[in-house]
Amino acid sequence: MEDLKSRSGGGRTGFSGRILRGGTEPDPRFTLANERTFLAWIRTSLALLAGGVAVEAFMADLFGPELRKTLAVLLLVLALLVGGGSFFRWLNVERSMRRKVPLPLPWTAPILAIGAALVTAIMVVFVLARPL
Amino acid sequence: MAWGRTTLSMAVAAAVFLRWMPHHGWFVGTLVAASAVTALGINFTRKRRFHRAIHGINQDAITPDIASTAAAAASLVVLAGLGIFTVLLI
Repeated sequence: MEDLKSRSGGGRTGFSGRILRGGTEPDPRFTLANERTFLAWIRTSLALLAGGVAVEAFMADLFGPELRKTLAVLLLVLALLVGGGSFFRWLNVERSMRRKVPLPLPWTAPILAIGAALVTAIMVVFVLARPL
Repeated sequence: MAWGRTTLSMAVAAAVFLRWMPHHGWFVGTLVAASAVTALGINFTRKRRFHRAIHGINQDAITPDIASTAAAAASLVVLAGLGIFTVLLI
């Protein structure tokens, strides 16, 4: 079993070899778990995308056009950062597992937390401040 | 299962984009088509990924699916970019 691991890990050539940059094959369950985490980030990004569309399309009675546009762009930029960042996160985790070094910190998590909190705060303030 | 859930989310995103049609016109069809094609692409390659995972667990070594992950992330970046373009310029 160890033979197979070292053969497929050390001998990995071509595109995947260049991308993964050496190391030894990790436990396949870890690779699959990393892929599932990546997909969870992708779905988060899709939710932000749908949120951006919804804010722009459904909030006409609640917010003015400029505010709607700002909130929609904020959510769409967050979706772009989370979607794009999830691939690099997946790749860095894969490389770390192959080299048996500590996993990198997820830099998309604070961006997502701060961005979502910011958008929510703006919406709460404007909902509370609007005339009845 | 995780890819299946992502397919479903992508299909929902395609449906949500339809809500933009009355406001932003035909260009939104590009976004609907892009997300629908991505959802279909994920769905049609599901069996290949499933067999890769089974084979990898059996052999105790798996090839990371770089192409699928890169394609999924790229489609999200393109969709979000087109969405920003739609909000700001159309």
